[in-house]
Amino acid sequence: MVDLDREVAGIRCREVLELLSSYLDGDVTESEKRRIDAHLLECDHCLRFGRDFAEAIGALRRELRRSPALDQDVARRLRERLAKE
Amino acid sequence: MTEADDQRLLLAASQGDRAAFDGFVRRHEDAVFRLLQASASCDADAEDALQEAFVAAWKNAGSYRGGPSARAWVMTIARNALRRAHRRRAGEPADFEPIGEMGLQAGWGRDEALEGLARREVLERALGALDGEMREVLTLRDLEGFSGDEVAEMLGISVAAMKSRLHRARLRFVSALREVAHG
Ligand SMILES: [Zn+2]
Repeated sequence: MVDLDREVAGIRCREVLELLSSYLDGDVTESEKRRIDAHLLECDHCLRFGRDFAEAIGALRRELRRSPALDQDVARRLRERLAKE
Repeated sequence: MTEADDQRLLLAASQGDRAAFDGFVRRHEDAVFRLLQASASCDADAEDALQEAFVAAWKNAGSYRGGPSARAWVMTIARNALRRAHRRRAGEPADFEPIGEMGLQAGWGRDEALEGLARREVLERALGALDGEMREVLTLRDLEGFSGDEVAEMLGISVAAMKSRLHRARLRFVSALREVAHG
């Protein structure tokens, strides 16, 4: 049975989960970072989920960042509209 | 082209220089439309807002004073145009599902590996499964690469609220990815 309220290395899984984005963005305090690092060493659930989470966001950034250019018709209609101003 | 170039283009545009404004449009129209597509419920709304935003940018070029980047400035105008278009429609319900629940749905504590990460169409479908607000914050932060402060300013919310919305959006994205890839 998995339990989000299990405490490992002084921090519960639920709190790690809440801080995951901030942790990835380098936006946690030094003490939060130390506790999360220690938690991840001992908690398989959070380690695995954290890795999946980071990989999913990484893939999103990598694969979709270069989105296709504006449709030519959309671009043309924008210029027609602006020409009226 | 840099931020300083944008400032020059807008200054020239404010004095009636059409070619300068065309240059400004070319520089930002793709990104602005991507954002609007991410937020709007249909492409027609996104296109209307795109036109309205650049018309407003043309008329108000003289009021751009720097501060946020010029792209952030025109995106803010575009979002407001879209919001005006939506004002009369029912809004999406605010999503305050607890983070723990969202984590479980996203696969915390489960053994199945996450699949489909290298497949663009899977990622696109997962992104498309999010609601407008979530897609918007993910697009701005993770695809367009704006800083957290810039995104908060563009969305008109506090940095803390932006972070919370971003985290929820990312968790929902992982859930959607599992559904799309496995389902
Ligand atoms: Zn844990």
